[in-house]
Amino acid sequence: MSDLLKIENVSYQYDGKYRALNNVSVSFAEGELVAVLGSNGAGKSTFFLCCNGVLKLQSGKIVYNGVELKGNKKDTFTLRQAVGLVFQDPDSQIIAGTVESEVSFGPLNLELSKEEVEKRVEESLVQMDILRYRDYAPHYLSGGEKKRVSIADILAMQPSIILLDEPTASLDPQNTDALEHILLALNESGITIILSTHDVNFAYRIANRAIVFADGEIIADANVDEVFSQEDTLKKAGLKKPLLYEAFEHIQKAGLCKRSEKKPRTIEEFAWLMGDADALA
Amino acid sequence: MVTGILSMAFVWFLFAGKAPNTILAAACIALGAFFWHFSRHQHDHPLPIDIIAQSSKLNGVNASLKFWTVLASIAICISSKNCYTGIFLMAIAPVIAVYAGGMDFDHYLQILMLPLGFLLLSGLSLLFSVSMTQIEGVASFRALGIWFYATTSSQAMAALVVSRALGAVSCLCILSVTTRMPDIIAVLRRSHCPDAIIDLMYLVYRYIFILMSLHHEMHDAAKSRLGMKDYKTSLRSTGMVYANLLARSYHFAAKNFDAMESRCYDTGIRFLEHSTKITMTQGWVCAVLLAVGAALSLMPL
Repeated sequence: MSDLLKIENVSYQYDGKYRALNNVSVSFAEGELVAVLGSNGAGKSTFFLCCNGVLKLQSGKIVYNGVELKGNKKDTFTLRQAVGLVFQDPDSQIIAGTVESEVSFGPLNLELSKEEVEKRVEESLVQMDILRYRDYAPHYLSGGEKKRVSIADILAMQPSIILLDEPTASLDPQNTDALEHILLALNESGITIILSTHDVNFAYRIANRAIVFADGEIIADANVDEVFSQEDTLKKAGLKKPLLYEAFEHIQKAGLCKRSEKKPRTIEEFAWLMGDADALA
Repeated sequence: MVTGILSMAFVWFLFAGKAPNTILAAACIALGAFFWHFSRHQHDHPLPIDIIAQSSKLNGVNASLKFWTVLASIAICISSKNCYTGIFLMAIAPVIAVYAGGMDFDHYLQILMLPLGFLLLSGLSLLFSVSMTQIEGVASFRALGIWFYATTSSQAMAALVVSRALGAVSCLCILSVTTRMPDIIAVLRRSHCPDAIIDLMYLVYRYIFILMSLHHEMHDAAKSRLGMKDYKTSLRSTGMVYANLLARSYHFAAKNFDAMESRCYDTGIRFLEHSTKITMTQGWVCAVLLAVGAALSLMPL
């Protein structure tokens, strides 16, 4: 797969003192689902703000679709259109008085025709299953519904890549499940999904690749199974192994597993590996 | 209850010397009973005004038509030289909001109660003049060594000012219970109101709810830690809550601006706007309303 977005040697300091990113290089291919892991203050949010062009790069470069984006107005516009960013707290993102107007904000900034904006808004609301709330004021929606609005905001801009900053923060298990399905469906439709999270269980279930940040640097970038097998990396990043991953390791060690093709990502896969033939049906 | 007492006092002194005392007393008691009855049935948690506007049957009516009709009605009302236009608008407002809009009469009164209280208080201050010596008027009384007296001219002045103000407030009330704030802001945008003001209106409207919810959470958190146990502590806690609210609002503003920029915000906030067609009936109703208001304003006193 060719690289869709390439970040090369990017560093960023707040107020010229606190180094949030230090010489970060990474690339993302089309259709990937990547989890960015790391403790608080590791640099994940700053990395996302740089990828979207909200923060101007102090050093390094961003290459999108093979073209280096220089940071001028035109290139920043291209980057923001192509790489959508869903903020952690929907209330920081939502500005309009109704759900429909909120979702129309991005497409209108892209100078699209009214008909095209209306079409995109409707499609995004349908995709997020919030069409019935189109005339509602966002402040009367629940946390999960607001999160859907904030994703619809970005979908309506039709980006190739969506960055989600702590998407499961403050969501209940039901809404987390719903979000997981939404993200998998978006990824299947060809959108590259990059999400930052502390929730290793969620990351392990959903992502194929994991990037680990610690002190503004990338300390691991590999397949999720491989990342969670690196004890030193997890310790340095202040992370724990996913519960299913760790439990399966113990079961394997005790020789209780009936099958051992691969480590289970979901509870259904776990049941299948333990011998329940119908679990994946 | 306070509004009830104020309305009884205002009506009594407004018509003192013009109507027999028994009829006046009966009218005041009826008015007091009405407000007392209303205060007993008042909702503990009033519905937010934008929820009422959202569910109003008139929400779908063209916002520009509503906005400009209301603005023209206010202009006619405040330029009127008599009380009739104000009284007419005051009477027609609940008919429009409750009968045509489908809202609860209790909710309508609840919204009107606060401005009504202030207007009646202002009306009473217009009715009375003060003097150190006794002056005969249509009504007078002495309190704290000072004579308060009302004259026929002050009665006329108070009636005119209060009726104008109540008429205008009723018009605004119709607009706010039938039209959502974003629709009103959209009308202002179409009327070429400066972008900076429109942007601020959108953000202020949104932030009222965010900061209110944040304030509520902080207040409850302070309360749960005995921060409101007595007057002195509650003053200190309230100060701290507001200071924190200010800091959080700066943080929110910065985050919000980042989020806007990330969605290609450059100059001016723009949202999708829909404009519903004005039907012949709606146009005629508004025209008749304005014509009646204008005709009444030209009537001699």
